[in-house]
Amino acid sequence: MRDATSDSDPRDWRAEIAARLASLRLAPEEEADLADELAQHLDDRFRELRVRGTGGPEARRIVLEELDGEGVLASRLQDVVRRGTPAAAAVVGTEARGSLIAQLRQDLRYAMRAMRRSPGFAAIVVLTLALGIGAATTIFSVVNGVLLRPLPYRDADQLVVFFGTSPEKQLPEVDFPAGLFVAIRDKSRAFTHMAAFEPAGFTVTGNGDPVRIDAATVSLDFFRVFGTPPLLGRTFVAGEDTPDNNRVSVIGYGLWQRMFGGDSSAIGRVIRLNGNPSTIVGVMPPGFVPDRAELWVPLRLDPTVFNCWCLDMVGRMKPGITAEAAKRDLVAAVDAFALSRRDVFPESKPDDHAKIIVMPLVKRIAGDTRTPLLVLISAVGVLLLIACANIANLLLARAAVRNREMAVRCCLGASPRRIAAQLLTESAMLAGAGAAVGLLFAVLAVKLIRRLPEGQIPRLEEVRLDPIVLLFAVGVTAICALMFGLAPALRAARVDLQTNLKDGVRASASGGARRLSDAFVVVQFALSLVLLAGSGLLLKSFQRLLSVDPGFRAANVLVARLQPPYPRYGDTRMVRSFYDRVVERVAAIPGVRAVGLTTRAPLTRGNPQENVVVEGHEPKPGEPVVVSNIRNITPGYFEAIGTSVLKGRPFNASDEPDGPRVAVVDETFARRYWPNSEALGKRIMAQGDTSANRWITIVGVVPNVRHASLGEELNLQVYEPYAQRTSWAMYLIVRSTREPRSLVSAIRSQVTAVDPEIPLYDVRTMEEAVSRSLLTRRLTNGLLTAFATAAFVLAAIGIYGVISIGVAGRTREFGVRIALGAKPANLLQLVLRQGAFLAGAGIVIGLLGATWVVRFLRSLVFGVSVFDVPTFVAATAVLALVAIGACLIPARRATRVAPAVVLRE
Amino acid sequence: MVQAMLDRELKKGSAELLILSLVEHEPRHGYELSKLIDSRSNGAIRFHVASLYPLLYRLEKRGWIEGRWVEKAGQRRRRYYRLTAEGRRVLAAQRRNWRQFVEAIARITGVQHA
Repeated sequence: MRDATSDSDPRDWRAEIAARLASLRLAPEEEADLADELAQHLDDRFRELRVRGTGGPEARRIVLEELDGEGVLASRLQDVVRRGTPAAAAVVGTEARGSLIAQLRQDLRYAMRAMRRSPGFAAIVVLTLALGIGAATTIFSVVNGVLLRPLPYRDADQLVVFFGTSPEKQLPEVDFPAGLFVAIRDKSRAFTHMAAFEPAGFTVTGNGDPVRIDAATVSLDFFRVFGTPPLLGRTFVAGEDTPDNNRVSVIGYGLWQRMFGGDSSAIGRVIRLNGNPSTIVGVMPPGFVPDRAELWVPLRLDPTVFNCWCLDMVGRMKPGITAEAAKRDLVAAVDAFALSRRDVFPESKPDDHAKIIVMPLVKRIAGDTRTPLLVLISAVGVLLLIACANIANLLLARAAVRNREMAVRCCLGASPRRIAAQLLTESAMLAGAGAAVGLLFAVLAVKLIRRLPEGQIPRLEEVRLDPIVLLFAVGVTAICALMFGLAPALRAARVDLQTNLKDGVRASASGGARRLSDAFVVVQFALSLVLLAGSGLLLKSFQRLLSVDPGFRAANVLVARLQPPYPRYGDTRMVRSFYDRVVERVAAIPGVRAVGLTTRAPLTRGNPQENVVVEGHEPKPGEPVVVSNIRNITPGYFEAIGTSVLKGRPFNASDEPDGPRVAVVDETFARRYWPNSEALGKRIMAQGDTSANRWITIVGVVPNVRHASLGEELNLQVYEPYAQRTSWAMYLIVRSTREPRSLVSAIRSQVTAVDPEIPLYDVRTMEEAVSRSLLTRRLTNGLLTAFATAAFVLAAIGIYGVISIGVAGRTREFGVRIALGAKPANLLQLVLRQGAFLAGAGIVIGLLGATWVVRFLRSLVFGVSVFDVPTFVAATAVLALVAIGACLIPARRATRVAPAVVLRE
Repeated sequence: MVQAMLDRELKKGSAELLILSLVEHEPRHGYELSKLIDSRSNGAIRFHVASLYPLLYRLEKRGWIEGRWVEKAGQRRRRYYRLTAEGRRVLAAQRRNWRQFVEAIARITGVQHA
């Protein structure tokens, strides 16, 4: 119920008040407080008048007259507008939200205007950010695709590979024999399923031209481990691993498309694998590409086999089991088995715990790319930090110019919080624009990355700008905006009205702001030094790598693979006859200089090794055995690959299958065992060989050949004549007098002439192989160098800006000094000293930081220490020169100050 | 006429003193202050919104008085102002000055204390 006096509505009064305060542009919470208080007053007054008998409309007129009859309320309130108090903050609620959006819109409009007013500034900031955010987003998209995104299998984090390790035998990875695998599979309790597999390659015929495909023989549980159901048909069932029942295969999606055009009638078709018929029973969905295989056939697990340590293993851990727990479980299983089977493991002792590594499958697949990627993402993070410091400095400098603007806005009633919000909005807008352009860069860069040659970066096909990458970009942008926006915004919020209004147009940063700018420059130099030193180390490593003598000459060499199928080629004589004819025919091709065969060409995957016993150096019990690379080669191989024979002779036709066994060893081998005598004529044998013909006489010495990579540790190497040790799968090496690619079709037709069903595959030039082996390094180095260059350019701009502003602020001082007789050299020195101090402080901090950071590069450097003094000195010198160069311009400006002009101002 | 003169001249110098005096012993809200000034001066001095509140805010900004929102059951919140320690010192000084000023005027004009 309303009484006679209450016919006033406080909301009316608020509206009247708000209308009169509009010109003040108060922050919403301030305005609400003010209106509340005044409305209460007006309401009280109105009631009083009504109680005394004044009519409603008249009372209202009087109240409004008293409120602001003279129209001075706003101007009187202007300089006493209350600062926001804690109590006032509580008022912001639903009512204020509408005006918050309005405020944001206003801030955005204002920010737009500010950007339009200084387009050059905005462009520099946006471009700097675009490059930084673009680079960060690109690198992160690779990190995300290669390292972070779950593999495309159900509960992929439960998938692990495991293998033994034997560092004392220089064997980081030891595969398991079938017998041991079966034992641990049956004993282990940490896994729901585990499977063994062995990579294989098949020549597929019976469907057009013979093609060579990567395949794997897999134990029956293989598909269950991954939990992926087939797209068509079925996977293997129990009993399909027995010799008379294993002519079945499951094919991958890609092969199904290429071979059968995606026709579902592929199920049930019979193809020939290395000449043997096999029925296709299933097709796997796209994305199912463990270990790059495209075809799977059953692997027979014979629990009595312990002589072939050749099975890879993969398992799915039970939910909740950690890799560490799985490892303990496996070790226990292996130990128990080893002790129970003294017949197989005669040397096992109770406390002799097996060494096993359990590795998440995702990490295994990322392999060697992990470290470079982590280095790159860190580097790009550092670069972004430098860029943010730079932009913060630009904004601080601009804030000094805009001090008066801020002071005026303050006087017009803008609260410090409001001004800070406004400045942050401007920063956010700059960051947003930078991110937008940066994302465009990233789209292009990701496209380029996707075009890299296959096989260099694992999971390359999964590198893309997905929502997670975009979220990352947004996050990075927000962090950037805060990093470079916060300092200027906070400083502006503490604006000192009097000084700023008095100072007027003269732009000068306050002492605090200058100290902040100085600190940013120091940080920039420190971070730049870290980046420069790091990239310098990698560049130097790369130079060292390029100057490594690989032991072969890559120019004009073609490499391709061949494999006559077993059992059509049922014995070594047939195989040798095939290869002899191939070599003979290829050698006759015009332009071919030399032809050779080897079981493994340099810079290819895999590295056959053998335990070797050197006569006179037989290891005593407990001593490590000698492990050497083993290659079986034809007489023409050394000439074809370009490896010179240093001593003795290469193999020749006289090294017959049943003749005296001979070998060529490399320098490393010879130097290790006969440092002061001749290796020629000495004898070696394979460990455990008990045959009468076991001793092999060394007839030649060749240089060490880099096998897996140019940067690998030197391995011992033994070559044996192919005639005495024949393998089915060989690499064909052709040295030509012209561009080797031009010979491919001629070589292919010669092979076809010998046997039309044997394809020539994995064709590449040796130069391609070298350049591919360096690709990841080249990419890492290129990017890191670009980041480091960008970093020191930014640092140069940063110190230039700070010193310039310093000089501008001290013009009067310089004028006085000149008037008092200071020479230009003195002033130059004065300014340079300031720059040197900042750069020097940064460099010292950077050196300390770099010595800590470079240890993470240890696995990436080659031929240099991570504490390589010349690199550190060079990085320091580069930055010092950059600093001096950047300071020289403003310093010279200081010397040209005209005292008369300045003092009159 | 007298009213206008008092308003303009006296108020300027004395307004701060009036407010500080009125909140010396207890916190008061704006309307209460205007009523008290009105009644105690027998209507000779009047503060309306446009002069009272800017003054209150100025005093608050200087730290002489302190405003605080107080909510009582069944009523809308009101802002009460109380004297701060700093305000107390200022009030004492202003009282002293005012007394000296009034005495000086009195000695010159012969006007006696009421």
